[in-house]
This record gives sequence, C-alpha cells and structure tokens, in this order.
Amino acid sequence: MAELVIDQLAKRFGGVVAVEGFSLHVRDGEFVSLLGPSGCGKSTTLAAIAGLDRPTSGSIRIGSKTCFDGKTGAYLPPEARGCGLVFQSYALWPHMTVAQNVAFPLKLRKIRGAEQQKRVQDALALVELDGFADRYPHQLSGGQQQRAALARTLVYNPDILLLDEPLSNLDAKLRDRARVWLAELRTKLRMTTIYVTHDQVEALALSDRIVVMNKGRVVQVGTPEEIYEKPADTFVADFIGTTNFLRGLHVGSATSGSHAIRLDDGQVLEVLARGSSKEGNRITFALRPSEMVLVRDGTAFAEGTVLNAALMSQSYIGGKWQLALEIGGNPIRLDAIERHDGNTVRVWIPKEGGYLFPSDPARPTVAH
Amino acid sequence: MELTIPNEGAARLKTPRLGEAPTQYGLAILTVCLVAAPIIPIIYQAFVDRALYDAGERFTVGNFDRLAASSGFWQMAADTLLFGALATVIAQVLGSTAAILVGRTDMPGRRLLGEVFLWPLYVSSLILSFAWATVYGPSGYMTQLVEGVLGIAPWDLYTRVGMSVVAGVSLAPVSFIYGQSSASATDPTFEEAARIAGAGKFATLVSVTLPLMKPAIFYSTILIFTSSIEVLSIPLVFGTPSGVRVFSTFLYERVANAAIPDYPLAAAASLILIAIICGLIALQGRILGSTRKYETLSGKAVRPRPFQLGRLRWLCFALLGSYVVLAVIVPLGILVLRAFVSFLHPLAPLADVLTLDNFKALWEFPVYARSVWNSLFIATFGGALATALVLMIAIVVHRSDFRFRSPLLYVSMMPRAIPGLIAGIGFFYAVALIPGFAALRSTVFILILAFTMATIPLGYGAVAPMLMKISPDLDRAARVQGADWWTTVTRIIVPLMRPAYIACFAILFISFFKEYSTAVFLYAPGSEVIGTTLLQFWTQGHIGYVASLSSIQIVIIAICVAAARGLFGVKIYG
Repeated sequence: MAELVIDQLAKRFGGVVAVEGFSLHVRDGEFVSLLGPSGCGKSTTLAAIAGLDRPTSGSIRIGSKTCFDGKTGAYLPPEARGCGLVFQSYALWPHMTVAQNVAFPLKLRKIRGAEQQKRVQDALALVELDGFADRYPHQLSGGQQQRAALARTLVYNPDILLLDEPLSNLDAKLRDRARVWLAELRTKLRMTTIYVTHDQVEALALSDRIVVMNKGRVVQVGTPEEIYEKPADTFVADFIGTTNFLRGLHVGSATSGSHAIRLDDGQVLEVLARGSSKEGNRITFALRPSEMVLVRDGTAFAEGTVLNAALMSQSYIGGKWQLALEIGGNPIRLDAIERHDGNTVRVWIPKEGGYLFPSDPARPTVAH
Repeated sequence: MELTIPNEGAARLKTPRLGEAPTQYGLAILTVCLVAAPIIPIIYQAFVDRALYDAGERFTVGNFDRLAASSGFWQMAADTLLFGALATVIAQVLGSTAAILVGRTDMPGRRLLGEVFLWPLYVSSLILSFAWATVYGPSGYMTQLVEGVLGIAPWDLYTRVGMSVVAGVSLAPVSFIYGQSSASATDPTFEEAARIAGAGKFATLVSVTLPLMKPAIFYSTILIFTSSIEVLSIPLVFGTPSGVRVFSTFLYERVANAAIPDYPLAAAASLILIAIICGLIALQGRILGSTRKYETLSGKAVRPRPFQLGRLRWLCFALLGSYVVLAVIVPLGILVLRAFVSFLHPLAPLADVLTLDNFKALWEFPVYARSVWNSLFIATFGGALATALVLMIAIVVHRSDFRFRSPLLYVSMMPRAIPGLIAGIGFFYAVALIPGFAALRSTVFILILAFTMATIPLGYGAVAPMLMKISPDLDRAARVQGADWWTTVTRIIVPLMRPAYIACFAILFISFFKEYSTAVFLYAPGSEVIGTTLLQFWTQGHIGYVASLSSIQIVIIAICVAAARGLFGVKIYG
C-alpha cells in the first residue's frame, strides 16, 4: 500500500476544462471518496490516477513512483502504476471463467501453480464467491459480477484501490447490502482507496474523507461529519443531504453575533449562524429541514424566529406528509406528521444552527 | 478472514516482451508499403516515356496525348460509360425489386429465392460469364433450344446490351443486399399509415416504400457503377468477339495479351480510371453523409409486418422464381452439366455424351491441377495472412494510442480506388522496379501480396464493427492490472474477436479463391490460379475444361460458404 499525492492536476479536452487545480494527499490506508454530480470531473481524475488518460498538467505520485509530471514529461503507462481499478461496468472478460479472470493478474506477475490457485481461492472467499470459480461472467448476477471484479482487483494486492461507481449498476436493495458489505471489507483490508461516486450516502458511509467536486474543481475536502455539518458553500450544502435555502438582505449584525436577514417579502429572520457577511449584501441562509419545526398559532419557541409560509402542495409519502412551502419566494421542503389545511403555515427557525453564505448569482439547483 | 497477500503491486511484473511503439510503427510501415507498392509505379510509369525498367527515361505528359489520340479511345470511353450505366440500371431494377419482394412482402418461398438470388456474388463474374455464354451465347444450349422452336436466333448476347445484362445479373446481389437491409429496417407504420389514409397497395409501394429506400439505392448505385467499370471477364467474353472494348479489356489487350505491351499507355489509362473511381467514392461519401441526415429509422428493433400481396403473391413468386431459375440456376447448372459431357446440344441424347474426360484432363496435366492447388494455397495461406493484417490494423486504429492511427485507417481504405486489374499491373511494375522483388516474380507470393493489398478494405469491414462493440473497459481493466498493450491485445482483444476473424477469414478465403483480374498480369508459369487457367481454356476454346474447372471452383466455394454459415452461427460471447 502507498500514499497518493496529486498536485495541481488539470485535464483539458480541446478548449473544455474537465478538471483544474486538483490537489489531494491521500494517506497510506486512507479511504477517500470523490463525490459530485455527473460531469464534475471525478471520473476524469480517476482515469488520470489509473493512467488511462493523460492529464494536461500537474503531477501524480503513488508511494515513491512518479506516475505523471507535466513539467518533466514523466508518464507511467497504466500497467506500471500498480493500481487496482474496479470499473463501473465491471469489465469482466467474457471469454474467461471467474477463476481465470481472477488468475489473470497473477499470471502477469508469474505467480503459477499451487500458489496461484490458493490466492484465487482466497480472493474468491474474501468476496464470498467460493462456489463460483468455474462460472462465466454472464452466468453471474449483477451483485456477483461486482464482487468478482473486486476479487480480480484485490488478488494482486494493488498499491492503491480505485473504485469507479462500483454500486451504481445494482438495484436499490442490492446496493444497500453491497454498501454495508463494502464497509466491512474496508475495515478488514485498510487499503488506500479512491472511491468515485455521485451518491452522497455511499460517500458518507464509507469514507475517511470526502472530496466534493463541481465543474472540474474541488469544492470541499473533509471528513463526512465536516462536509455534512459545515458545508463550504451552497453547492455542498445542497448536494450533501437535503437543505432549504432562504435568501435575503443582510440588514444588521448584533454584538451578540446574531445577524438579521430581511427576506424579499419583508419578514425578518434572526440567526446566530456561522459564516461571514457584510451588512447590505444579499446572503443565503441554509438549514437542514430536520431543524425546522411547524408550529401552531400562538405557540412561540424561545431563541428563534417564526415565519409565515405559503403552503403550495402536500403529498403523502408513507407514514408522513411532505409539504412544499414558499417563504419569501424561496421554495422550502418540510416533512410533517399530519396533513395541513389552509393556505398558510407557520415555521419556526432556530436561532442557532444553519449556515450563512454570500448569495450566488445563480440559484443552486434544488436537488432531492 | 485475513487477507494473506504480500504487498507487491507492480513490483513482480515481468518486463514487456514486445515494445508497443515498434509493433505499431512496423504495422503502419508494412501497410503503407503494401498500398504504395502498386500505386507509385503506376503514377511514375504514366509520366515517363518508355517502359519503366528501360534506361534513359524522360518525364512527359505525352502518354495521355497518345492515349487520347489512339484509335478507338473515345469510342472505348463512351462504351465504358454506357456499359456501366446500363449494367447499373439493370442491377438496380432487379436488386431493388427482389429486395422489396423478399424483405417486405408475404411472397411464398421468399427466403429461398433470396438465397439463390445472391449466388452470383459467391461465384466469380468470370464463371457467371462462362455459364451465361454456354447457355445463352450464340451456340448456347438455351439459344439453340429456342432457335429450334422459333427458327431464328432469339437474342444476341455479344452486344453492348447483352454484356450489360450479364453484368446487371452479376451485380444485382449488391443492390439486393443494400435494399433489403434498408427495407427490413424501415418502420412498417409508414406504410400502414399510407394504407389507412386510403392509398392502395401499388400507390403505397410507389409513394412510400420506394422513396424510403432511396438512400440505399443511391449508395449502391455508385458501388455498382464502380464495380461494373472495373470488371474484366464480362466485357472480355461478351464484348471482345463483336469488337466492343471498355477500359478493362483495353488494358488487358494492351498489356497482358499484347506481343509488345505498351506500358506507358496502360499506366496513363489506369490513372484515369483510378481518378474516376476516386471521384465516385468521394461522391458516395457525400451521399452517405447527407442521407444520414434524413434517415427515418427508429432506433428500436422493429419486426416489420410483411406487406400483404393478396392474389399477386403467386404471380410475384412466379416472376422472381423464373428469374432466379433462368438467370442463376440454369446457367450454373448447365455449366456443371457441361463438365460431364463431351458435347452439349438439345438434340444430342445425354446418355451418349456422358464422360469424365474433362476432369481427367485436369488431373493428367500438372499445369491444370497446379492452378487448383495454387488457388487453394493462396486462399488458405494468403487469406489467413490478410486476416491477421486487417485484424491488427483494426486493433491499432481503434485500440491504441498510436499517433498515426487516423492516417493508417485512411491508407488502409485506399485500395478501394484501385481496381484489381490495375493493382495487378502496379505490382507487376513494382516487381520490375524494386531490386529485391524479382525473386517473387513467378511465385504465388506476389499474388498473395497483391490480393492482400486489394482486400484490406473488405477485411477491415468484416472485423472493425465487432471491435467497436467490445467495451474498451475490458482492455483498460487488463492494462490497469499490469498487462502491457501487446499482452492486452493477445490475451484479451484477440480472443474476444474470434467470431469476427473467423468470419473475416471465410470472406477473404472466398474472395482470394475466386480472384482472377489481379492475377491476369502477375501470374507466370508455376503460379497459375484457377481464374487465369479458365481464361486460357476459354481463349483456346476448351469449353469442356472450362466447365470442369469452374465446377471444381463452384463446389469448393459452396463448401466454404456452408462452413462459414455454420461458424457465423457460433454464439458470440456476452
């Protein structure tokens, strides 16, 4: 196993920037996820680490091996890098049995006979495919293929393990099981791993650290807790988990550290949220839906603001209702125990919690 | 459980055996040499004033003047165009009609008739010419049969129209294949919509079915026209007796069959023909580009509902059936029958003339038997070599980082513009010009080189589509795990390509086995092939030998086609 050091990596296709200014230091044995929407550059970065794509500039080092350096022109072909890559498509060779697939990397390393056989068996046992050695890939289910691909990669104990959305081709139930299984395997092996995914749950559940990417750039690097609880900007807040955004004008700051925000419909909100902003600027306040509370008339909560919200629609989603609200022109998503009548509801916003961001010119897309 | 694998990553990887770059550059250089070998000498010869191996040559454009001034040149050019145009029209009418009947209607027996319709594609145009001449020529079996009834000769094939008809029959399968793939891929709801809107069957055919086939018809028109101006055997058998000459027979007379070959003139004529074909290929490319824009096919696989012919079913069956019988089965059947008799005439009782002498002669004269063995050797060995070459070209073009892979593809497609006859002349020049090549001169290896060069585009077309269907992840996976490019090619890509290269070998085997026009200028005593011996027999008037040797070729091709069918049926992995 080895550490992975990437410095100022960039990849351009013609004039189109796929990745720019990507720097990352992955420690020996660390599990790092590259997380972002499709087209954010995470797969391009993975291909550059594996050596399948030649970056435009920057450098990549695995352990003591310089795999790529734009300045010196150093470049190692994929076969010399000692990486293991599990493809999204699994890429199991259809003309070989599972055992032959797994034995192939050993043959390349001149490991033959009894030792080869033992290792193939060990790797298949590790992924719980003991009885499937003589099957052909097309005779396996999707989940089994995914584990066979993993066995083929683990069998030669690569310096770093690269996983390219390995769960995305599985159906929802299977994906949950495979994720739990992968988490157990991860604690067992402790390999340096780069995991590419667009699924925040996978990233949060598996990673030591998460690299959130957007439009070819790194937006935030941190532990799952940091990413979830202290998102660096509205994109991260929106992409990781469900977040409601309230946009307005920063109208005042008190010595106590609280900020007053006037929403576009005139309602004023008072929060202690972290984040910096100057008075007079437009700002965005981000808050997880679970921190907002629907209140009946009259009941007031300490330390917070109660806002009037228009009830746009509500739908029953099994066991609870999902309400689509609007506060000062901002769409708000909230879950409620019971159905609400009328056109307006009241929402309590806690004084503590949430984040303040300078307003983006473009509104973040409302995901989920 | 514990994972007890020592940490090795790339540490224990064996060193690569074969460098990636030398292999790719080597292949590219080989391909360029092979393609340039016939072309450059032709260009050179066209612009020097004497045979290219003679000393003291001077550069000149006089060859073209001499060509234009030579007797009958303009008549020959006009006849070439007329022949090409007539043959194309006949092939298109026959092929498109058959394609609609077989591909879009409920005509009885359509599958069988479609199969037999394709036969002229499998046997060479040389054999089809001999078959037609034997049956419908002035003293042909059917001609005499009809003449006996009517009292006058019903037709004369030894005319411009006659040779165009034979070429039309020989090339109709090309039109059929393009038309059928278009007809069977068209969404049947277009036709159904027309019927519901009130159009009758015939109106629907004319206003919907045929217009939808237009792109396929345009595309195959150029292909058929190009093929017809390249073909040697048909004008040679049907045009030469009545003095009609086209480009191909002109070249044949001036070089292969002349006492003193006029090489500069032949090269100038070749260059003109190449230029015309290049123009046609460019036009074809543009048509293909523009037809894609208005393609009306839906992406999903539709099973077209056949067009109900109603009472016309049996009439259509009778018409297409008689065509197939009279144009394909009867000529080939009688040619084979002719091999077993000493003399064939409607009035001569078969039992009296039956003999095996025609086959005995082939057996007794080593020269004749040798041409069969040579053809088999060229088809097997050359076909395998050519398959390996096109497979490697396709892999380097599609599955490598080779810097010059697009130029390599471009060069590989250039033989499309070189008719077999001219490739033969070019290699003949190359042998005379390049020092080390003289040793190849009277061996079958020069034929293998020339045939290989001429069939690179055909072979590439047989392997490339499958290569593009194999996910690149499969070779990337091997690379990441430590396999170098060459190991990935031999262990992953080539095994996965098995069905494609077997099919490619079958196609190249058949095309090498029946090839004759490339060999006409290149064969020497010792390197005869079936086609050249057939031409020799024909000019000497040994019709019985022509028939027996043709029969052998037909039987071998039939076996190969049947075997290939079996192999095409092999289940492709995944």
